Amino acid sequence: MSLLAGQILNGIATGMLYALMGLGLSLITGILNIPNFAHGAFFAVGAYLLVTAVGVFGNFWIGLVVAPAGVALLGLAIEYAGIRRLYAAGHDYQLLFTFGLSLILAEGIILVWGPVGISHLPPEILRGGVDLGFTFYPKYRLFVMAAAGLLVFLTWLFLEKTRYGAIMRAGIENKEMVSLLGIDIHRLFTAAFALGAYLAGIAGALTAPIRGLSPGMGVDMLGIAFVVVALGGLGNLLGAIGAGLLIGVAQAVVAAYWTEASTVVIYAVMAAVLLVRPQGLFGIR
Amino acid sequence: MSKWKRRDILKIGALAAAASGFPAILRAQSKEIVILGLWDQTGAFSDVGPLNDRGMRMALEERDMKVLGRPIRYVTRDGATQAGTSTRRAEEAVDGEGARFIVGPWSSGVALAVSEVAKRKKVVHLFSGGTEDISGARCHRYSFQWAASPYTAAKTVVDTFMKANPKAKRWHLLVADYAFGWSVEKYVKEVGKTHGIEFVGADRHPLGEREFSNYVQKAAANKPDVVAMINFGGDAVAGAREIFNFGLTPKVPLIMTWSSGVEELIQLAPEIRENCWVGSNFYYTADTPVARNFVKSYQAKFGTPPGYAPSAAYSMTRMLLAGFDKAGSAEVQDVIKALEGIELNDVVGPMRVDGATHQTLRPYFFLRCKSKSAMKHPLDLADIIATGDAPLPKEYAACKDIGSF
Repeated sequence: MSLLAGQILNGIATGMLYALMGLGLSLITGILNIPNFAHGAFFAVGAYLLVTAVGVFGNFWIGLVVAPAGVALLGLAIEYAGIRRLYAAGHDYQLLFTFGLSLILAEGIILVWGPVGISHLPPEILRGGVDLGFTFYPKYRLFVMAAAGLLVFLTWLFLEKTRYGAIMRAGIENKEMVSLLGIDIHRLFTAAFALGAYLAGIAGALTAPIRGLSPGMGVDMLGIAFVVVALGGLGNLLGAIGAGLLIGVAQAVVAAYWTEASTVVIYAVMAAVLLVRPQGLFGIR
Repeated sequence: MSKWKRRDILKIGALAAAASGFPAILRAQSKEIVILGLWDQTGAFSDVGPLNDRGMRMALEERDMKVLGRPIRYVTRDGATQAGTSTRRAEEAVDGEGARFIVGPWSSGVALAVSEVAKRKKVVHLFSGGTEDISGARCHRYSFQWAASPYTAAKTVVDTFMKANPKAKRWHLLVADYAFGWSVEKYVKEVGKTHGIEFVGADRHPLGEREFSNYVQKAAANKPDVVAMINFGGDAVAGAREIFNFGLTPKVPLIMTWSSGVEELIQLAPEIRENCWVGSNFYYTADTPVARNFVKSYQAKFGTPPGYAPSAAYSMTRMLLAGFDKAGSAEVQDVIKALEGIELNDVVGPMRVDGATHQTLRPYFFLRCKSKSAMKHPLDLADIIATGDAPLPKEYAACKDIGSF
């Protein structure tokens, strides 16, 4: 029983990171209507920037602020200089552009940080674990669970309770109408892309001490992020959160009893849900 | 006499071209020896393929790309760490490029499929990896295994570790779920029995796994004396990191049973390496003349010392070239006969290819990682504490008849 409880806790921690990734991708897919294949690369760049920032400033917490901000700036530049020109070009071009971008970023990581993987330890205060009674659990993972949960909540709060968030949600529903109301839709697109990149970047930065860093680390996460978006429903932000948690917990619980299937279960859950609800768990389209 | 027609001129031109050009091409084709390096540039072992390629090129360049006075043409293809792609690319190189000698690929499961291609196409195939089947149940005349037998590896690792830690009897295994993992797991358990080891858990994970928390939490719940991983590359690095994060190491020793050596260890922070014990087919401090030279040139060229991947490719290529030398021929059957029973003193020390199984009998290395304070320089990661070369006992041998050509 304690094993199951431990695994569920672990599933929630991992699921929170998946949710963070899915939330960013869902935002970009929902508002910009483009399949962002560079989302995994943003995740990787976030992790690498964290390591560099910690090296420069000598402080993990400053790194955690600087790294995702850097990814958001990168996202902003990419949207402004590249993606903006492709809105009218159709899905094929957007897909090719973001896919090419993911390759360029992965190669860029190799050029800047080298091809060999790197380990990055959690800050001193979060090393080691705590005995929760039913399981021994790493402090850093508990922190990630709380931090990711807080970020998901703040993003939701921003989208639900602020004026600009309302505009973003309106953008997901009907871009033309938002544009007709005199809102600069291009600025909205840029902001949404940068916010999505920020969420991927901070997920990467938070993950760095857990999974370490390697140039291909974004590829693993990209697949999961797409599953989260498909499962949660395209453009549905609450759906992305629910789907992230569902996949994380499913993976952890299956691993407790049948470890060989812990990767397959991600896709099995997706297939099962889509068979019953083709629009995703909470999707409407 | 009628006038020349355009058609006649074209015919003469074609004949002239055939007379002058084609024999030259034919001459070149018959003279050059084409060797295929089947290395993964994409897929789960995309990080390993470029290292294999480095090692193979170095072995060929040492000989100025020549053997038996004939030029060597090195062809390399990306096997994508997939059986379908690797077999297709191997067949294309054999049929289209005239390759008669294949070195690689890196994944055991994929190599078993390529071995079937070698048998069907009647070409020489050298491989290094953890499956016992290439020189075991699926042995045949065309494939050779360079890596130590999984039994040799398991025996070296378990015996040496138990000698140093006789009370550590509760083992939890984390095993990569493919041919290599299964083979090594089988012998770790067999050798473990002789030490009275209780295997409190043995969980298998897919190749390319990066989220190890679920496995590690399960391992921790078993309260083992030892966690032993039988996985490789990125999987091993991710696993070791998570085992540290969950507070198992350094309290509980971690054994990396079949490691790439330096390439995995430098990816781990010194704190994570604390109390790590590592088995490997090669470690760069191996004190052999060939290793010393190879490590020196490799380090000068690429900045880091070579791990198991480039060294295996380097040594397999040297072994193949030694086969050409011994045979005095580049005919497939002659080279195979020469390789059977060949004795070399190469990167790992004395090696002999068993003619009956095509298994290379050779030492396997066991290392103990150094603590941060004991490291003299950033690459002073571990000490070789033992080597072992116990061959597979007869009762386990599955290659009953290597067969004919």
